[in-house]
Amino acid sequence: MTAGRLLGVFLVALAALAIWSAQSLEVPFAADPLGPRAFPSTVALLMGLCGALLLVPRGPAFEMPERKAAPPLLVLVMAAYALLLVPLGFLVATALLAIGVALLFGARPLAAIGTGLITSAVLWALFDRVLDLPLPKGFLGA
Amino acid sequence: MMETFAALGGGFAVALQPTNLFLALIGCIIGTAIGVLPGIGPLNAIALLLPFCLALKLPPESALILLAAVYYGSGYGGRITAILLNMPGEPSAVLTTLDGHPLAKQGRGGAALAISGIGSFVGATIAVVLMSFLSVPLARVAVAFSPADYVALIAFALSLLGAVGGGSAPKAWAAGCLGILLAMVGIDSGTGVERYTAGSMELLGGLDFTVLAIGLFAIGEILLLIETRIRAEAAKLGHGQRLTFGEILFCLPAMFRATGIGFVIGVLPGAGASVASALSYTAEKRLNENTGKFGQGDMRGVAAPETADNAAQIGNLVPMLSLGIPGSGTTAVLLGALLMYNITPGPLLFEQKPDVAWGLIASMYIGNCMLLLLNLPLVGIFARLLTVPAWVLYPGVLALSFAGVYAASNSAFDLLLAIGFGIMGWAFRKLDVPLVPIILGFVLGRMLEDNLRRAMSLSDGDVMALVASPVSIALWVMTLGALLWPLLARRRAA
Repeated sequence: MTAGRLLGVFLVALAALAIWSAQSLEVPFAADPLGPRAFPSTVALLMGLCGALLLVPRGPAFEMPERKAAPPLLVLVMAAYALLLVPLGFLVATALLAIGVALLFGARPLAAIGTGLITSAVLWALFDRVLDLPLPKGFLGA
Repeated sequence: MMETFAALGGGFAVALQPTNLFLALIGCIIGTAIGVLPGIGPLNAIALLLPFCLALKLPPESALILLAAVYYGSGYGGRITAILLNMPGEPSAVLTTLDGHPLAKQGRGGAALAISGIGSFVGATIAVVLMSFLSVPLARVAVAFSPADYVALIAFALSLLGAVGGGSAPKAWAAGCLGILLAMVGIDSGTGVERYTAGSMELLGGLDFTVLAIGLFAIGEILLLIETRIRAEAAKLGHGQRLTFGEILFCLPAMFRATGIGFVIGVLPGAGASVASALSYTAEKRLNENTGKFGQGDMRGVAAPETADNAAQIGNLVPMLSLGIPGSGTTAVLLGALLMYNITPGPLLFEQKPDVAWGLIASMYIGNCMLLLLNLPLVGIFARLLTVPAWVLYPGVLALSFAGVYAASNSAFDLLLAIGFGIMGWAFRKLDVPLVPIILGFVLGRMLEDNLRRAMSLSDGDVMALVASPVSIALWVMTLGALLWPLLARRRAA
């Protein structure tokens, strides 16, 4: 399957979902002649038509990355960060995130650890000390 | 005329406050720096800074002064990599490589950087003067617009997406529609019905603009960057002959022409700085066919595209401020920033919030002077940013992205949402789906629906009311033209 077709199928399916979801809206009172359904349904229909145009096979296949493993690994690291930020606190979680990302960008282990610690400390000092923004405290209190 | 000067004076009183001067300077430095760094554009940087402006409770005029300085400052930075490395830091700097890099190879990299810096300053400053005098008259025209006229205007702005993207028109339109649908998420203000929330409490208030922008652009970009090994090369300034005064005079006519082209292209919605710099380069090359050495290191070949680039960036701000219709992705983010401050740009902005509108314009005079001073002597320092390895830079950018999302919402849910949009942005870039229409659709979607429903209420559901005024008819005809243009262009090319 070419990349264009894949995208076309995705868009048509998404449009169908959007239209179906809009039709199921219950409007308690008629506030205006158009209501909340018509506009999103029309836009979704247009999107579906564009998607259908893309179903005509054309263009190259989905290009595989040079380093196949890196993007999914990065997604994993980021998802872990999102889930651990509040329990671990900003300082620890951000250091772990930065170490992971630096490693994925090809840093040597020691350099990655250095980058991670410095990035995290600098950002914490900037946000917490200078700008006084609310950051998750975690078990270290920072 | 006189009232413009008076209003501008009031604007300077805002822009010259110490905090605002400081923020303009910070914005100029960040702008130049991100212009240098490949992969981080002004759009990402503004999306990253916006949540901090909100979390720090900066007043709207201060936030806008900072964010806009990042925006027009980036126009100064893109040329540095173009000239020294033959690699444009911003898409609009592609043309600068053609003559800039040959000049650098001849040892005149310093001179090329200087003339492009001066060109950027000339283009931006003249454009700001034009903006000062044109914004209010343009806004006055729009005051008389009815909701139906606005529907046509927004439809026209969105229809241009397919015509100017250069890529596949259906993909650009689909992306615009997707952006509009994303704007529908949350409680419908007209009826109180929940739309597309999938029963989630977090989505009741709608998708946060910063989450979408940071996810699509910043996180998506890093996912894309991590796939390929980045090859860094050392940058050299060159110690050849410095820029002479004669050369500046020689380039001035080209700069003035480029300013005109750039500003006009910039004001038109849809077309951006890349189109402007390409047009002005071609124009100079045609005009000087016999005398120029374009492609081998002509000073005018560096001055013209850089001047046009900066003039177009400023021109892009005019429809955003006076009509509330952004012409590019980055101005859409600026519009989003204003909306988050509950300020609706458009015809009434100049009357109701003169501090914001005129403070911004006045700060742009000051900011461009700062940028000229920053860029002439300090260009070497900015060039050295290129030697920072990717594994130092991008972990920091990513951490900053997440901190921004968290500062805006204090919720881990939004972090996951941003990652989801990041994956979407990455996949769409690989599938050649432009991301800018998503942002434009998101910002304009609510406005389009609100105006449409208002127009329908006024007319009691009569659809013909949408084409009742001459303004709306003209705009719908232009919309149709913009929609059909890609099809016609393809047939002609085939």
